[in-house]
Amino acid sequence: MISILIIEDDVNIAKMIKATLSIVGYSGTCRYDGRSGAEEAMKGSYDLILLDIMLPEMNGFEVMESIKSCGTPVIFLTAMQDVADKVKGLRLGAEDYIVKPFEALELLARIDVVLRRSEKTRDTITYGDLTADIGRHIITLKGQPVQLTPKEFDVIVYFLQHQDIAVTRERLLSAVWGYEFEGESRTVDIHVQQVRRKLGLKDKLITIPKLGYRLESQDSV
Amino acid sequence: MKLWQNIFLSSLLLMILAINIVSAAVLSSSHKMLLEREQTHAVNEYEFFSASFSNAVIYERLRADEVILSEEQVAEIASELFFGREKGANRAAVLSADDRKLVAGSGFDQIMELSEFGDYLDSYSPDPDTCQIRIFPVGKAHMMTVTSSMTVEGNDYIVITALDVSDIYAMRDRQRDFVRKVSIISAGIVSLILLITVIILLRPLSRLNIYTKAIAGGNYKIRIRKKGSIEFRELSGNMNIMADSIQRNAARLEKIAEDRQTFIANLAHEMKTPLTSILGFGDLLRIKKNVTDDERMEYAGVIVEETKRLRSLSGKLMELVALGGTETEMKPVALREIFRDLETAFSPQLSKNGLTLYTSCEEITVNADEELLKSLLSNLIENAVKASSEGKRIALNARHSDEGRCLISVTDEGIGMSQEAIEKVFQPFYMVDKSRSRKAGGAGLGLALCEKIASVHGAELSVTSEIGKGTTVSLLMKEADKQ
Repeated sequence: MISILIIEDDVNIAKMIKATLSIVGYSGTCRYDGRSGAEEAMKGSYDLILLDIMLPEMNGFEVMESIKSCGTPVIFLTAMQDVADKVKGLRLGAEDYIVKPFEALELLARIDVVLRRSEKTRDTITYGDLTADIGRHIITLKGQPVQLTPKEFDVIVYFLQHQDIAVTRERLLSAVWGYEFEGESRTVDIHVQQVRRKLGLKDKLITIPKLGYRLESQDSV
Repeated sequence: MKLWQNIFLSSLLLMILAINIVSAAVLSSSHKMLLEREQTHAVNEYEFFSASFSNAVIYERLRADEVILSEEQVAEIASELFFGREKGANRAAVLSADDRKLVAGSGFDQIMELSEFGDYLDSYSPDPDTCQIRIFPVGKAHMMTVTSSMTVEGNDYIVITALDVSDIYAMRDRQRDFVRKVSIISAGIVSLILLITVIILLRPLSRLNIYTKAIAGGNYKIRIRKKGSIEFRELSGNMNIMADSIQRNAARLEKIAEDRQTFIANLAHEMKTPLTSILGFGDLLRIKKNVTDDERMEYAGVIVEETKRLRSLSGKLMELVALGGTETEMKPVALREIFRDLETAFSPQLSKNGLTLYTSCEEITVNADEELLKSLLSNLIENAVKASSEGKRIALNARHSDEGRCLISVTDEGIGMSQEAIEKVFQPFYMVDKSRSRKAGGAGLGLALCEKIASVHGAELSVTSEIGKGTTVSLLMKEADKQ
């Protein structure tokens, strides 16, 4: 199980992040000031640290400096939009930064990218008869490889990684096609239909009216 | 044209002009003096010549033993007289007064040829008592002629002697040339000295110029060293004063801009914190498939709580903005009444927190906007409540102070704060203990608001505090005039 340390002085935000992490099965530990956060980071073994910048006792940059030696990847959470601050954070060795306020799925997406980079996510995901090998870009159904376009592959992998979560078309667009892609949600619909057809997920990958899609987890049926 | 060029050229011209005028005056007066001396000399010569002429005539008449000599005889005597003279040493001529013809003469040919001399001779009326002196230019030379008439043996003769005065004229010309050269050279030298002096004197000006450009270019820190003449020292001093005031104003504007920037950054931060929770939990409620009742209650609870925080923030902001814009209505207000209202308003909150409020008030009336003053004191009491734990006391006092002012203070026995915190406590969004303040629904704007209200009333707000012992916030304001 992936464990993540949350260093954030606002109790409600920390609670919210912890709840968000729990829906993809990550465990979260909260610390509310810089000093105890840094101590906890050095003591425990965490896969990732989410670090606020404006913290009591020690600010995020100072915490960053002091925990450099443990080598845990860090994502900054910041309310500032100052480019200089972002650059400073990244220069100190942070993997990424997220500007507050953020959506739950955006946070998860950023976390996934960082974890994948440090090779801590699963390389293969099994879902019933379906096995996705993310590293080799192969998907098999009952042992038989299925021909998918790269985008279709990305779509099904995204759903597999976010089971039981309602995914909006916009979210899927930005996750698969990139943030800059100004495509229509129609594109998303066509790809989802293709994935459904090719992988026989008609009952599992359900449409949620006015919102998007959700891949039901295997055990919930 | 530059100042130094101007000074140099005008002084050069003036010098040349002055030297020339003075030397012309001196030269002409010395020339006149020399001519006068030569005149005496010429008249002496004339008298010597005329005397020897008449003596020769008398001597001849006595020798020939005649009563009267004829014209021819006189002419012969004159010729002999001239014959005996060394030629060219002196020039003299004897003319008959009737037809102005030359009777005899020596070295007078050149003069006789002059048309001016002819005109002069024609207009000359014989007068034996006076000598006429004229100067005629002959070629390059100048001749001074002395003319008079005399009667010899019954006939009138005009006798003219001439003296060469070329030397005087030549000397005058030589002196004039010399003066001219000297004047140009000396004027040049003097102007050069002047030029150097001017450039040295004006050097501080170019220094000033450089500094002024630097200051105009935005370097407000530099100051000009006071050097050079008194005027430049004065100017440098004034420029420094100007630079001082520019620097002060620039710093003040920078401070204002910086404060505003900090305010906006803090505001954005303060808004984003609750927004993050609201957006996050709202999103969770939307995308999570199974939400238990407990989770739903918790998530929605946080959303409501954070929304209330935003509401209080926007309310305080509105108050802060409104204070700057609207005109306040100052009326005499009795502090005792305000204290009574506050006691009533706070009693539920105080009893909930287990706190006691003690008030003491002297008979004081102040000129104030009642609502604003109440809001100020409410904020102070609220802060005291937030800082106090159960069972503690809060005191609200008002008493007369010096210079017709009164001192209103709110004292608590709460957690207190450090000296460092006291310095920052009036800054918008500053919170001594962030998490504690947020739990109590604060946005860090209370004291900033209080200070603004105090400044509207011309009052001073001050804080004293000790960690663990408590805090006192005092408001020193003017009392209303007693009627």
